[in-house]
This record gives sequence, C-alpha cells and structure tokens, in this order.
Amino acid sequence: MSSYFITRANFEKFIVKLIQAKKKIYAPVSKKQSFIFDELTSFDDLRLDYDVTILPPKKYIFPPRQGLLTFDKQGHNSLIAPEDKILLGVHFYDLKAIDMLDNLFAANNSDANYLANRAATTIIGANIQKISKRAFWGSVGKDVRPHGYDGFIIKLDGGEGYVYECYTDKGSALLKSGDFSNASPAQIAASMDINERVLKQCPEKLNHSSKEIATKVRSTFKEKQLWEELADDCFSCGSCNTVCPTCYCFDVQDNWNVDQVSGRRERTWDACMTEDFAKISLGGGHEENFRESKAQRFRHRIMRKSTYLNETLGGPACVGCGRCSSACTADIADPAKAINRIMEL
Amino acid sequence: MSKPKVGFFDFASCEGCQIELTNFGDVAFLELINHIDIVEFREAMSEKAGKLDIAFIEGSFTRESDRKRLEEIRKRSAIVIAYGACAATGGINALKNHQHDYHECVYGKDAKAPHLASNIALPISAAIKVDYSVYGCPMSRDEFIRIVSHLLHDKQPIIPNHPVCMECKLNETICRFHDGDHCLGVVARAGCGAPCPKDGIPCEACRGFVSTPNVDSLVKTLINKGGMHSSRAWNKSRMFTNNQRGDVK
Ligand code: SF4
Ligand code: SF4
Ligand code: SF4
Ligand code: SF4
Ligand code: SF4
Repeated sequence: MSSYFITRANFEKFIVKLIQAKKKIYAPVSKKQSFIFDELTSFDDLRLDYDVTILPPKKYIFPPRQGLLTFDKQGHNSLIAPEDKILLGVHFYDLKAIDMLDNLFAANNSDANYLANRAATTIIGANIQKISKRAFWGSVGKDVRPHGYDGFIIKLDGGEGYVYECYTDKGSALLKSGDFSNASPAQIAASMDINERVLKQCPEKLNHSSKEIATKVRSTFKEKQLWEELADDCFSCGSCNTVCPTCYCFDVQDNWNVDQVSGRRERTWDACMTEDFAKISLGGGHEENFRESKAQRFRHRIMRKSTYLNETLGGPACVGCGRCSSACTADIADPAKAINRIMEL
Repeated sequence: MSKPKVGFFDFASCEGCQIELTNFGDVAFLELINHIDIVEFREAMSEKAGKLDIAFIEGSFTRESDRKRLEEIRKRSAIVIAYGACAATGGINALKNHQHDYHECVYGKDAKAPHLASNIALPISAAIKVDYSVYGCPMSRDEFIRIVSHLLHDKQPIIPNHPVCMECKLNETICRFHDGDHCLGVVARAGCGAPCPKDGIPCEACRGFVSTPNVDSLVKTLINKGGMHSSRAWNKSRMFTNNQRGDVK
C-alpha cells in the first residue's frame, strides 16, 4: 500500500477528470433526505459526506435485475457484457460486504456473471464522515478486515485535503488523473486516526464477540416462542433482505417476447423473508413450503446473519450497516437489537 | 397451446381494464392477437361460440342473476382468468359492502329503480373457480401478457406474493412513512413496480393483499408511524381490499 495526498482544490479537478474519462463512475449522491449510489455526472453531486445509501453498491456488480441470456429459434446468446466502471466512495462496511460476495460467488459453481462484472470494477473506498442512525459497524465482526478494493480516500480534518491509499494497480491507475504527492507521515497518521476514531461512534452496538453470538444464537433454534415474538409484526416484505449488502439470493425466470418465439432469461434478487421464497414444487402439481411461518423465516435470516456463514466467511455475514433496520416498516429487522436481546436470555 | 380460442366477458366494472389492454400500443396488441383467436368479445359476438381455451373475465360478481352466466362461461372454458381488481378481488366495488345506504347516497330518488339493484360486490371466484388472476386497478398489462405467454407455452406463470415494499426498496424510493405519510404497501401484493410511492403518494393496495397480510401490524404501523386515529387506521384498507379483510361478511 502507498499513501498519497491531494489538496481540496486538486481533488475537485481529479474527480472532474475522472468524470470526463470514458469509464462510468458510480458514487453517493443525495435523493431527498437520503442517499443512493448513482452515476456521477458532476462534481457538485458527489456526497462523500453521506451516512448510508438506501441500496448498497453491490447493485453495480450483482444488479437487482440482470439479463443472463436472450433466446430465439436459433439458440441463445449470453448477456455477459461487463461495463468498465469505478465505484467511488464506498464505506468500509460495504467493502467488507463486497469482499464476502466475492468469496460466495467464486465458491462452488463460480458465477460467471458476477465475476465478469467484478473484474471490470475499480473500487475506491472513502472514510465515514457521517454516521447513520442505525449503524453498528463499529462492533460487528471486528476481526474481519475487508480485502479486494483498489483504493481508499480519507478526508483530513480541517479540510486541507485528502489522503489516497492505493492498494492495487487499478487503484494506482487513477493517480495519473490527479495532482498527487506522497503523503507525509503526519498525514498518514491523521488518516489512520480518523478511521479508528469513527469505529467507536456508532449509535448501536453488539456487546459480545462474533463467536459468543454465534454459539448463543444457534442454541435458541428451538425457542419457538422467542422467534414468534421477534417476528410478530413482520410483513414478510423482504425489505430487510433487499437492502442488505451481503444478501445474495436470486431467482431466475424466462420470459417470452410478444412474438412468443424469442425471449430473455433474467435473474432478480430474491428474499428469504417473503412467504414464497421457500415454496418448492414436489411435482404433479404439489407444493411444499419449508419455512412456512414468519417466525421460521425471521429466525433463518438472523441465523444467516450471525451464525450459519461464519465458518465460510471468517466472521458473520452482517456488516452492521443498519440498512435493514431503517428499511423495516415494522422496525423489527435490526440484527443488533435481536442479537442483544438473545444474548440476555 | 396452439392458437387458443379465447373470449372476453365483462361484469360490474368501469371497463378500464379493457382499455388498458389496448394501451399495449398497436404493435404489441396486434402481435398478441396473432397468437390467440378471439371468438367472443363482450356483446360484439354472440355468447354461443362453444368451447373456449381461455375465458378472460372483467368485473365483479354483484348480482345473483349473474351467477348463471358465470357458470355457463366456466362450463365451456378450460382456463378462466379474472383480470383487473374488480374480477380478482371485488376491487373498489367492494367499498359498498359494509354500507347500507349506498343506493340512496349514489342514486338519490332513483335508488329503488330495479335495474340498479345489486348485492355486495364479490370477486368472480365467489361464483366459479378462477385459475389465474391479473391484479391491479387497472390490471397490470405486463402481467397480463406474461400470464398469457406462459399459458401459450404450457408453463405456470409466477405471480408475486410479497408486499409492494420490496419494489420500493428496489426503486430506492423513500418510504411514505419516512416522509410523514402513510401507506398500505406493507400488505399489498407487489408486481406493479410500486409506481405510487415512487410518485410520492401512498399505495392503496389496488392489487389486493398478499396471501397472508399482517393486518394487525398494518393497523399498528398506521397508528404509530402514520399518525392515524385507531378507527381510521382500522378502516383504511377498505378501498380496494374490503373483501380480503378479516371482518368480511
Ligand atoms: S443484516 Fe442489516 S445491518 Fe447487517 S449487513 Fe444486512 S442490512 Fe446491514
Ligand atoms: S438466505 Fe436470505 S438472508 Fe441469506 S442471502 Fe438469501 S435472502 Fe439473504
Ligand atoms: S423483518 Fe421487517 S423488513 Fe424484514 S420482512 Fe419483516 S417486516 Fe419486512
Ligand atoms: S412507501 Fe409503502 S410500499 Fe413503499 S416501502 Fe414504504 S410502506 Fe412499503
Ligand atoms: S403501488 Fe399500490 S396502489 Fe399503486 S399500483 Fe401498486 S398496488 Fe396499486
């Protein structure tokens, strides 16, 4: 890793130059009182002071609706056509989440669509300037460090400028677009301090280690009443899955065009909290739902986020972004609340 | 299915769903017509065309006298599709179902005219077996075409059964409840793409409820987050989903 420094005025020029270059840039911008990742077309739209976005940046690597292939009488054509792009301003919890998806989509039957998009993406992180109301990233899976990103921007206090950490060739490739100098030891120390300090400022917090949590949560599997209580207000809407940066389930469907000959195979995000997620065909017109009650589904999601994937990922499949907590209309999805309650049993 | 014989029938409705059908645009509609054989269209043709592969029914069942006509359609149709909210759930017509004075309110001195007599408004499925429903007020024409396409290929169409909320998240729409408003999307069946919250207005559940709506939680949310008085919160879901409520008669 090498660290560089760029002044505030030159930072603007740097971003403008990136926008003018061929590659698409996706970065945090405002949407009413919230933020989303969107295509960046002007420096003034860039909001590195965002707290959290409605959907995570994974949408550019694993899109909510993705054409897999088109078909017609002759046969089929793959739709894998990755777009060369930069994801700019990604917070560390989302970097962690993308790292997890990288592992999950590469394991077993590796996912060619995901991997192609991923390879075409340059990921530049940014420090957290504002903390969202439901964040608990400071205390979840603390020993898991993100990998796989290309660079990281830290805005120094006082507004003199930014430290840019370069991790890969893709990250270094951006240097030529800006007026960077080597960062001084004091600037490096200041940037590290900024990232350390913010970890202690989350409004919500897990009080136990990932290991303690995994063991305890797993032990409550049969506590029917507990899970029924936790899920009582659930609408089975799947919002908590949809906004989650580590959820990776999808559904695949074929649809015909009106000519009834040609068509398209698409995959769309799926969500295990919905009633039909676990409905399967048994053949001969019979069906079964292996997670029929909302309590079973609620338990499954909390287990997935705290326990089931820990061995595969080296830590929990939750990065504490708090998106599910604010997306849940019934306000029951918050993993920190559910886990802390279970830990007190 | 090779070029199926289809018929269109209508009952108590505004006929907006028929209009929605033609809103596909000439090309798509004419293309679809290449793949089906319309042998009956409302009163335009006689209802004696014999066996049908698919019967499309629009409108609610709100007169006992309609039962015979529905049964007759069912008898000669292999597949019955209720299209539009009126046919699928009773739709907005069912708004009258818990009232007693709607005749007087709407028709005034003509309230007793015999041709205005009707019972409560029910979905077509209250009279005959319905195989598929195309939800929405007006119905979703994309869903209509998807269902027809799947049937033409002998495949089971998949109809969403999760709340509209998920589609708001996919659109990154700011929730009505976060904007000081209320919404029924938490219990409404997705599939429309959540255009109403996207435009800044609440979802009124025109596509009906999901199969297991959490109505208690809805009422609680309308009170706590939507700022509604408890009786308004309780009555809120009568507009399009009166027939799907727990207190339906
Ligand atoms: S479970 Fe919730 S807090 Fe955890 S990563 Fe997913 S959305 Fe974020
Ligand atoms: S099983 Fe559920 S929690 Fe796990 S990735 Fe799939 S949708 Fe997300
Ligand atoms: S926990 Fe909340 S967001 Fe998740 S499915 Fe239930 S109601 Fe929807
Ligand atoms: S606006 Fe309505 S449909 Fe959309 S997320 Fe909020 S409650 Fe759900
Ligand atoms: S958002 Fe609600 S009211 Fe609007 S079209 Fe969809 S189901 Fe109907």
